[in-house]
Amino acid sequence: MIMTAIRTDNVQSNALTGSQVGSQADFQADFQPLGISHRPSPTETLLANLKAKDTPAFIGYLPYGFPDAQGSLDALRCIVENGVDIVEIGLPYSDPVMDGLVIQAASQIAIGQGERLEGVFEAVRTVAQAGAIPLIMSYWNLIFHYGVERFATEFEAAGGAGLITPDLIPDEAGEWIEASQRHGLDRIFLVSPDSSDERLAAVARHARGFVYAASRMGVTGERATLSASPQELVRRTRQAGASNVCVGIGVSTPEQGAQVGSYADGVIVGSALVHTLLDDTGTKVRDLHEGLDALAATTAALSKGIHEARR
Amino acid sequence: MSVLDELVAGALEDQQARERVVPLEAIKRIAADAPAPIDARRWLKREDGVPVIAEIKRASPSKGYLGDIPDPAALAQQYESGGASAISVLTEKRRFLGSLDDFDQVRAAVHIPLLRKDFMVNEYMVWESRAHGADIVLLIVAALDDDTLSRLLKLSESLGMTVLVEAHNREEIARAVAIGATVIGINARNLKNLHVDVSTYGELAADLPSNVIRVAESGVFGSVEVDGYARAGADAVLVGEGVATADDHEEAVHALAAAGTRVKASEQRPLSTHEGPYFGQFGGRYVPEALVGALDELESVYTAAKADPEFHKEFARLNRQYVGRPSSLTEAPRFAGRIKDKTGLNARVFLKREDLNHTGAHKINNALGQALLVKRMGKTRVIAETGAGQHGVATATVCALFGLKCRIYMGQIDARRQALNVARMRLLGAEVVEVTQGTRILKDAINEALRDWVTNVENTHYLLGTVAGPHPFPSMVRDFQKIIGEEAKRQLNEEYGIDHPDAVCACVGGGSNAIGVMNAFLDDDRVNLYGYEAGGNGPESGEHAIRFAPGTGEVGMFQGTRSYLLEDKEGQTLDTYSISAGLDYASVGPEHSWLKDIGRVNYSWATDDEAMSAFKDLCETEGIIPAIESSHALAGAYKAAADLKAKGYSNPVMLINISGRGDKDVATAGKWFGYLTDEQSKALEANGAHGTSSDNTATDGAAEQNSTDGE
Repeated sequence: MIMTAIRTDNVQSNALTGSQVGSQADFQADFQPLGISHRPSPTETLLANLKAKDTPAFIGYLPYGFPDAQGSLDALRCIVENGVDIVEIGLPYSDPVMDGLVIQAASQIAIGQGERLEGVFEAVRTVAQAGAIPLIMSYWNLIFHYGVERFATEFEAAGGAGLITPDLIPDEAGEWIEASQRHGLDRIFLVSPDSSDERLAAVARHARGFVYAASRMGVTGERATLSASPQELVRRTRQAGASNVCVGIGVSTPEQGAQVGSYADGVIVGSALVHTLLDDTGTKVRDLHEGLDALAATTAALSKGIHEARR
Repeated sequence: MSVLDELVAGALEDQQARERVVPLEAIKRIAADAPAPIDARRWLKREDGVPVIAEIKRASPSKGYLGDIPDPAALAQQYESGGASAISVLTEKRRFLGSLDDFDQVRAAVHIPLLRKDFMVNEYMVWESRAHGADIVLLIVAALDDDTLSRLLKLSESLGMTVLVEAHNREEIARAVAIGATVIGINARNLKNLHVDVSTYGELAADLPSNVIRVAESGVFGSVEVDGYARAGADAVLVGEGVATADDHEEAVHALAAAGTRVKASEQRPLSTHEGPYFGQFGGRYVPEALVGALDELESVYTAAKADPEFHKEFARLNRQYVGRPSSLTEAPRFAGRIKDKTGLNARVFLKREDLNHTGAHKINNALGQALLVKRMGKTRVIAETGAGQHGVATATVCALFGLKCRIYMGQIDARRQALNVARMRLLGAEVVEVTQGTRILKDAINEALRDWVTNVENTHYLLGTVAGPHPFPSMVRDFQKIIGEEAKRQLNEEYGIDHPDAVCACVGGGSNAIGVMNAFLDDDRVNLYGYEAGGNGPESGEHAIRFAPGTGEVGMFQGTRSYLLEDKEGQTLDTYSISAGLDYASVGPEHSWLKDIGRVNYSWATDDEAMSAFKDLCETEGIIPAIESSHALAGAYKAAADLKAKGYSNPVMLINISGRGDKDVATAGKWFGYLTDEQSKALEANGAHGTSSDNTATDGAAEQNSTDGE
């Protein structure tokens, strides 16, 4: 066979490839690597560390640019200082179909204040500096319009960990999956109580960081009571292959946080935090100092409820 | 010395070292004994897909070190099982860290064509490639003079190998063609930023003779690029980093191959039979995961219904006995006279009278079809959005007919300007919810309907009114509306002895009546198709709903689908304006976006003034009061006539779709033309719908209430 006939050549090639180690170093020095990033997910690392301590993560949501650009940075810092482990920085969108009135109102206020996507990277840095993991939650058109690759590049550079996409399902996420692989970013997709096992498996397969389990069918917003369905969904999602499953939508009190934290890897709270910055009408911003005090108190109480869920 | 010069010099030096060990005559003998090469040309061009040449590559000068490949044979097998049509093995060792040893391992492991990728500088390397079992070799135009290029090409071909000739620019392509290359790889990388521009590829590839196989060679990372290259006419793609560095190599190749198959499948279908989820790059399902189950269910129930003669029988019976189909096709000679006065074109004009349907518009066609599906799904509650109120009325009507609970979302501004339709829906037993969020028009009504659906999807069907939204709505609604064009075609034939119209005009909001009247003519090139958007106060005013004119819409995702969209520089949806509530929408059905991009339909717009003037023209000349929406098609007919005249038509037949009747618009028109006083107009406005979205919908605190509503 020719394989043996030209063995001399192979030997020579192998001898020459011995210099690969040197070349490799040269390449890394001379050229910017643009390949798939293999940097580990900081979100997964954190969740693993918390799991080792038998503690669920507290994931807090606030929209960027609400009540205004500076105010939102203060608010983000405030929730991290009061116990949030992972921050979902929301990008305000004109047509948020997965959001209830509180987040709709906050989004409209932020857009009215002239919120711009470019500024969100400052919020990402703020969260990272405060010591929490920064995620962005965005409706897909905003990212698509900004440029998927451009967003991923700047997000990675700012220290961002990943993106939650409420209206992007894995089936449509080709461009994002590729960009997130290039930049080592988490892909956090949602599942809901009526998702089939096939859908859960598809989401689990494409997810990185964690899977976001919606506690109920519906949009974001506070609820007096939670049904038992999220626990079943968490179980099914894990069975479908997800290593981390966090529960959100409708969790608003420390008691609910403790309840969900007893079985989920993380508890996501949004509207209840945003609410503290709005006045009684629910559509206007209250005094920021008062708001931040209320936000700090609400966050601290939730943190206690969630972090002590399994004590 | 350029990088290329350096690579070529290095390749020559390494080749000479190998020749000292195995002389030319010896390598020729080995080549003669090697198994016959595979005819790779047959693997690199297919009717039904875009072959993927997957590359085994550890590094490249442009990208640096990519990763270890300890077992090239295993990697090649993963490529093969992922659906690669050929495998490229880099054998250059200095900058690409490849070797002939890699090549041998791969050759022993797979049975598809193998490309030896190196800097071929002389005959020895060609013989050597064959000796190692190569089926394809690479020749780089920039690295060789014409004489060498030609000699190496001829030698390779005489050994039965296929030659991939790589070119970077127009001049190199010309040289490749001149020496008789039949497989040309175009490397369209922008050398300044190393980015790849698909449009550059398209321009370069446009000059190639048709018998040449075109391989797109650079920057293919994922399905997005394959999609772009395939649409730009590439026969095959060569991909390195995107598959070599993937976590799951098999899946990565599979995704690329699937993207190519999708494009090819789409190109081969007659235009009129395109099915979602994608129309070209448009369409899809940009929705919360919570809706996927319902969309899947709808799709499968619809697919089953389409194949069920009983469904068609029932649909046809209701169309005949309840809707009053077929709707008339009316010749409009006096209106044609106005067109002649304005444009000098002597056209015969026919009106497709969807205004004569029960409920007064084409919307009933779709509402009825979907209501039949609701029965099949066993759901009990229907929600819908409405702009002008026509779709809301149609939905309320079919819900009354079938005993379904019905809630209609309507933007507050629309509800005020369509007060009579609000009353009609309530008379029909529907609950009308006035939406006060956002800009309080059609898009906001859709948002609220989507929020309701996400919450109550178990028992609720969202009866979307147009060819927009997530798959399967665009194809399904099109199927329910295409009867408009099919009837018109038959009526022209049977009643007027006309084989085909020369032009079809329709208004385009979401686009369901336009798709409905055009679908039957999409594959007949003799028929010029014209779609008219709502021009409002004109494209420069910023107050309009024109998505297709230059400088207006951009490609984006909105309310479940990827299409053209009016958005600001941040990607936020822009406010739209039109006198016609039914056309006042920021996006448009994905099939229209595709038909625009492929140039099949001419899209333009009619302003408020033009539409109202055409409205009055039709009233006065034919005794028909059209909807203001349809008046945009009538106003467009003047523009289409001018276009036909410019194209050399002298006595064309024009078909205009009258999508609805104008009774609902009498207050608006009366005010516009000064037939009603301000006080009279005000009295006709709604007194405020009794429920508003903020305290009555699926949002905060009301979900439980909604779910019981539906029972």
